[in-house]
Amino acid sequence: MAKKPRKDSSEIRVIEFVLDELEPVSSAETSRSRKVEQRGAGFQDDLESVSSVDAAAAPEPAVEIGNEMGSAVLRQLELPKLPLFEKQDRARLQVQSPNRVYFYWSLKTNPFQALSRTLSAGSAGYTLALRLLDTQTEREEILAVEPEGSYWFNTDAGRTYRAEIGLYSPSRPFVRILFSNTVTTPRKSPSSRAASQSEWRITSHKFAEVLDVTGFEQDAFDVVLAGDDTERVDELTYAALTQLLDEREYARANIAPEDIRLAMVALASGRTLEELRWKIGPALFTILQAHAEHVDSEKAAAALSEVFDIDQSELEEEDYGPAVGTSLVNFPRKYYRGYSPLSSHITR
Amino acid sequence: MPIGYFSLILHAHLPFVRHPEYPEFLEEDWLYEAITEVYLPLIFIFQHLHEVGASPRIAMNVSPPLCEMLADPLLQERYTKHLENLLELAQKEQLRTRKEAKQFTEAAKMYVENLSMSLHLWNDRYGRNLVNAFRELQDEGVLEIITCCATHGFLPLISTEESRRAQVQVAVTNYKKHFGRQPRGIWLPECAYEPGVEHLLKAAGIEYFIVDTHAILYGDPRPRFGVHAPVSCDNGVAVFARDVETSRQVWSDVVGYPGHPLYREFYRDIGWDAPIEFVGPHLHADGTRRHLGLKYHRITGKGVPLHAKLPYRPKLARAKAAENAGHFIQERIAQAHKLRKTFEGRPPLVVAPYDAELYGHWWFEGPQFLDFFFRQLHFDQDEIAPATPGDFLDSGLPIQVQQPAGSSWGENGYYMVWLNDKNAWMYPYQHDAERKMTEIANRFADQNPRFKAQGSGSTSNLEAGTLDFELQVRITNQLARELLLAQSSDWAFQIHKGTTVEYAARRFRSHIHRFDLLHEMLNKSYAFKLSESGTTEAVTLTPGELTLLKEIESRDTIFPEIDQRVYGS
Repeated sequence: MAKKPRKDSSEIRVIEFVLDELEPVSSAETSRSRKVEQRGAGFQDDLESVSSVDAAAAPEPAVEIGNEMGSAVLRQLELPKLPLFEKQDRARLQVQSPNRVYFYWSLKTNPFQALSRTLSAGSAGYTLALRLLDTQTEREEILAVEPEGSYWFNTDAGRTYRAEIGLYSPSRPFVRILFSNTVTTPRKSPSSRAASQSEWRITSHKFAEVLDVTGFEQDAFDVVLAGDDTERVDELTYAALTQLLDEREYARANIAPEDIRLAMVALASGRTLEELRWKIGPALFTILQAHAEHVDSEKAAAALSEVFDIDQSELEEEDYGPAVGTSLVNFPRKYYRGYSPLSSHITR
Repeated sequence: MPIGYFSLILHAHLPFVRHPEYPEFLEEDWLYEAITEVYLPLIFIFQHLHEVGASPRIAMNVSPPLCEMLADPLLQERYTKHLENLLELAQKEQLRTRKEAKQFTEAAKMYVENLSMSLHLWNDRYGRNLVNAFRELQDEGVLEIITCCATHGFLPLISTEESRRAQVQVAVTNYKKHFGRQPRGIWLPECAYEPGVEHLLKAAGIEYFIVDTHAILYGDPRPRFGVHAPVSCDNGVAVFARDVETSRQVWSDVVGYPGHPLYREFYRDIGWDAPIEFVGPHLHADGTRRHLGLKYHRITGKGVPLHAKLPYRPKLARAKAAENAGHFIQERIAQAHKLRKTFEGRPPLVVAPYDAELYGHWWFEGPQFLDFFFRQLHFDQDEIAPATPGDFLDSGLPIQVQQPAGSSWGENGYYMVWLNDKNAWMYPYQHDAERKMTEIANRFADQNPRFKAQGSGSTSNLEAGTLDFELQVRITNQLARELLLAQSSDWAFQIHKGTTVEYAARRFRSHIHRFDLLHEMLNKSYAFKLSESGTTEAVTLTPGELTLLKEIESRDTIFPEIDQRVYGS
């Protein structure tokens, strides 16, 4: 559905359209039919299949309404259907996680007709496009899209985004038609800021201890690693990534050092690159993917060991499995079974 | 003076499932099973702990849909039949196992005793309404009952401020109806927090809410005491976060207590094991096998196939529950010492939230575990004291101000379970309905200024208007109910999880469909039609529309007190 004609077109100016001037989109109205799984008969004697009990069939309607009107009402309610989408301007951005947001949109009217009225011959060469904008850095991602659809974006944690639907042409201003709500992706690591009041102030080392006793060993590791000399540790982090990539150069822009450390530790603990999709920022994932042949567990562990002097034995992953029952409650994974903020190599 | 505090928080919630259009309905069993296996045992144990002076203190969310179902006469009547049927089966089983299967006699006897007691409590002690029981336990000082969002709506995925506000306000009004007081705390559905939610809570008079661990650990600035002390949002609403260690110990499928080989196996059930001729009279009329709740086997061991499970021995399991409770306390004492050392002497507060349904439904011995835990906590040691979040706030200890981070307690810690490739299709429909609901509420208020001027009181206090005006009120209130029911996070969860997918999808479709039908009714057939002279001309419903309205009202009865004005902007 969505094609990527280009990315990162900087310096794009924005023109706003007044939608009332636009003509209706002729084919934008589509009903969404969704295939829904059917429940089975649910009659199971085989003990191995007992857990399929949830799939048992619902009983047939038993209520009888003795008149025509009543029956018509009942039939209507027994066959619930989703309404056809009205022609509406919709642009909704939703956060799924620090590294993934979902956007859906639809247009009430055909933007090209108004564009051609406004720009006449100059309207040629425009494409209907979706733009995701990081409102803090003005960094953007642009895709060619249909008048109605949805899209998942890879994002960075703790950033503020807005999505826009508009008309795009490489050498001209972006013509904005619709824009979404603004969202801020959640943090996925501790804040670097200690409280200003002395009563609540805490040193990095002490905070690492707090994280450690709370069961967040990975964050404890990161906090103690970053310590108070953030610049030095960031340099080391970038160096570790360079080593992982066999000394290949890469653009540091838009890659958070803590994301690199998270990715390298996860890789060193046996996670695959694919498992990191949607768990790290887009710039880092793109680089790792481009050098996938160089990215493996052994090399990540070696780079961490050499640059940060982390003992290999500290990089064991401990999995607590799912919760009892049907809950999907989150148990944070321990990547540092043997790690202690007070005794690790890293703090020596 | 204790060295640490322990706050158990139970989240009791089920989606609103009530199908008067069917004489029996499979998914209503969710409620009936939970009453038998969870709510009645917990109520019995908490009451008994209170009577023996063990002074338990527990925070418990009884969600608004659950309260509404527990107080519903139709479901009460159906549950009574369900329980009587189960007791009859258990009595037959006691006789059968004595003759044919002595290895199961101890378990069969236990079921007869438990179910007889349950029937007594249900009929005689609490008059078939367990809201009475929870209220009584709160009044006795055992429970601190907190509320939840009206239909467990996942706040970060609701698109309008008005709809989010309605989830909170409708819940608080419903809480007051059932418990006769203002709730102090709220369980945010799925512990889903997004910065800004605290303002809605403050406006509703809420003092605190519960979040997952990383909401505070990743909050800004860094929390001095991690999750072992609450923080406070800028506006003064307090935040309590989940302790990971206690979660793993009780809830993890790998290392948690419920997986012990002596505990009861969940998936072997007489509804599937017994010959159909025997069990048939106790199934629904269609004869479909289903879980009935009488289970005769123990877990036996990891990876042991169902057919090789050994007989369940209640006495052994009970002894194991006592042992686990003792272990849990020792672990809390050790944890408190460790935390206190890290915190340079400040007594830590360990917040341990769980789904209530873990205790009794998924972990059959869970209520016994809690019974032993609170007895031992009270009588056998004095280093750890139970406390609710409200107790902690009342202590007057200073609280750090912090902006918590967006989070939930679901898989991976954010919103993925409720927004993913399987369920993302739901949101455009839900969001359209949210937008329309506020449009309707605003239009209604504009066209009925006297109605608007009366604030958010009950419609029964309104100066009576015409029949048509009353119909407007009915339709718009029912629209609010349908929207709330569509917003229930349970549907997106079940669709993601792959359990009861068709039912969950159908429920969502039904409520959106009903919302659409009512919205159409309001727009086309009836309301707000202006005559040529500019005055409002009443147009009544057609007989078919009136029948439809009545039918929808009779099915989706949740929140009879609802007032659609809560959606006005």
